Amino acid sequence: MVGTPPNVAEDHLVDWFRWMITMRTFDQRAWNLQRQGKIGTYAPFSGQEAAQIGCMSALRADDWIASSYREWAGLAYFGVPLVQPLLSSAGHPDGGCMPESLNVLPIQVVIGAQLLHGVGLAWASKLQQQGRVAMTVFGDGATSQGDFHEALNLASVMKLPAIFVCQNNRWAISLPVERQMNVRSVAQRALAYDIDGFRVDGNDVLATAQVMRSVVDRVRQEQVPVLVELVTYRLGAHTTADDPTRYRDAGEQAAGAAADPLVRYAAYLTAQGLLDAAARARMQQEAQSAVDHAVAELERRGRVDAWTVFDQVYATRPAQLEEQRHELQQRVLAHRADGAGGGAR
Amino acid sequence: MLEGEQKDPAQADRGAVGPIRSYQWILPDVGEGIHEAEIVRWLVGPGDWVGLDQPIADIQTDKSVMEIPSPVAGQVARLFAQEGQLVRIGTVLVEFAVAAPNPAGDAPNGLPPGQSPHQANLAPSSERRVLATPAVRRLARELGVNLQQVTPGGEGGRVRAEDVRRHANAPQPTDDHPVEPVEPVELVEPTAPLASSPGRMDRVPFRGTRRAIADHMVKAKFTAPHVTTMDEVDVARLVALRESLRPEAERRGVRLTYLPFVLKAAVTALREYPYLNASLDDERAEIVLKREYHIGIAVDDPTGLVVPVLRDVDQKSILQLSVELAALTEKAHARTLSVPESHGSTFTVTNFGSLGGRFATPIINYPEVAILGTGRIEQRPIVLADGSLAARPVMGVVLTFDHRVIDGGLAARFLNRVMGLLGYPERLLLEML
Repeated sequence: MVGTPPNVAEDHLVDWFRWMITMRTFDQRAWNLQRQGKIGTYAPFSGQEAAQIGCMSALRADDWIASSYREWAGLAYFGVPLVQPLLSSAGHPDGGCMPESLNVLPIQVVIGAQLLHGVGLAWASKLQQQGRVAMTVFGDGATSQGDFHEALNLASVMKLPAIFVCQNNRWAISLPVERQMNVRSVAQRALAYDIDGFRVDGNDVLATAQVMRSVVDRVRQEQVPVLVELVTYRLGAHTTADDPTRYRDAGEQAAGAAADPLVRYAAYLTAQGLLDAAARARMQQEAQSAVDHAVAELERRGRVDAWTVFDQVYATRPAQLEEQRHELQQRVLAHRADGAGGGAR
Repeated sequence: MLEGEQKDPAQADRGAVGPIRSYQWILPDVGEGIHEAEIVRWLVGPGDWVGLDQPIADIQTDKSVMEIPSPVAGQVARLFAQEGQLVRIGTVLVEFAVAAPNPAGDAPNGLPPGQSPHQANLAPSSERRVLATPAVRRLARELGVNLQQVTPGGEGGRVRAEDVRRHANAPQPTDDHPVEPVEPVELVEPTAPLASSPGRMDRVPFRGTRRAIADHMVKAKFTAPHVTTMDEVDVARLVALRESLRPEAERRGVRLTYLPFVLKAAVTALREYPYLNASLDDERAEIVLKREYHIGIAVDDPTGLVVPVLRDVDQKSILQLSVELAALTEKAHARTLSVPESHGSTFTVTNFGSLGGRFATPIINYPEVAILGTGRIEQRPIVLADGSLAARPVMGVVLTFDHRVIDGGLAARFLNRVMGLLGYPERLLLEML
């Protein structure tokens, strides 16, 4: 880590590390839960904790977030409960229910679609003069989507308080970033829309937090969009259905592991006298218990009746949806009564 | 889908749930939309105690080999599949004895109390992995075609829709059993060993040298578009020349074969046609023309193909090549080749004729761009220049080339040159250094 450290209180610095450890622990457990059949497809974020937590750390509690499916470290830091990603991957109807107290959209699985939602939220914030900014987070793969360009263009034309954060983890599933774009950085695409673009070492939580703070302040005050590219690395697979050893060689994996933000940040905090082995062990233990708690919560809430999938779609169910819900309920109950067991649940 | 747990049916029937409970783990969809997986190896056995998330098995799907972490802490009571077995998603694979009570309630895996989960859908272990897209799999189901029996025609051994249709239209010789799973069978008692796979066959581990050769061949064949050109050459003069030189060579303790002549002819032609002594650097979009002539020699060995490298063939005499060839061949069989003796060839020669066969379509020794093959020399009827028929010693020669780098015309000119030198070996004198 180089440069002037940001003006951040010490307990903040340690807090970030605590969150990084917690989310790494979570990520590994979630992977196992998928293999055990307790949740469905899951997209691990290990290696991107600093980029995620660093960028969310600059937001105000009432700002908007529209993110992809790989942002759980940042979202958890922002206040989303740890059980949420588990519910989401388990296909639980509550998977998309973000806390009422937060302005966080459900995660977006369609690549790049959340950028448009982010622009809409930014536009609404501007019209309502709420002083809120809308941050939208996406991967490097999303920058090759049409939605990316539409979103940046509209935000630029309308001068919207939108922050576009690209988590450039180098890999769009199996496609390396240099094979999907002919430009040297995502950040330089900002030029095309005459907005500011920044490229930051996303594996440096301090650098990320520092740049994001000034960006968020500027966007809030001047009501203009900004594009930020956080250069990071996806240490693991694209999802639980992926095997990165098929397309990445061992040398690259090793280089990625060497740049692990947890390793770097731990070294920094230790050198600053803010972290020692005992504190770290304690944090690890706390992380484990937080994750255990989330898994227990998942298991407590895990099993619901199939027809409840309709319940979260509208505040008040339209007649047609009510009808479908009723029909499904009747069928499932009839199926159960036939002695087919609870398999349809 | 969130719990794979259930009470022991016997205990449930008695209504007395003891402190030790049974947890049956059902193989989930460990990928995304897969429907079967192969048990590569068990990392635990009956009686072993395992912790939560401790690895218990490696399983393989269409996409990858993955490690399965234990879903519970407890003791492994039974395993319901063997290594190498193909298992459908939803099959009970492991039964654990666990101590902790289950807060999730009764029979959450969907099986009513008292009904035994059966060890269903265990396909025969002889099945190989079939590569096919979901659309093709669906087509196969619709046409009642067993994908295992379809000859793949697609890249990388993939079964394509047209392969399935062709298979469906072809007359089926014997019992074309449908893809449906075998009959459910009873739970295997813990004391009884799992029934071994039926049928008369041996299963040989695919690893080591065999695996390395396979990987190399697949890489070569699926990277370089292969074309093979073939011809025959009248080698009467070469046979006579070798016969006349043999006594002299033997006096010097050297057994003279045809191969050094072939190597000399090949190198002479390679010097004139540098694009055959080359490789393709895809990354930099460059063809690398090599100015060294290190020739790989394919050597048949019971443990698998070995290709020792005879270095600087252009700078060595036929006698010297004979001596080195003998030494390299011996080392190849003994697996004592050094790195320079086994790597860095720029072109390869395979004398498949030494084992029989007039023609072959050799696979390029990737990343080289061509390989020369020589067939058995045998008396064949040929038409001489004056139109008369004669029996002459004839050798088949073949050249497989990488069509990315070499076109048919160049390949033919090269092969013609080699044939000219083998047909009139005295011409090699003109090339002597």
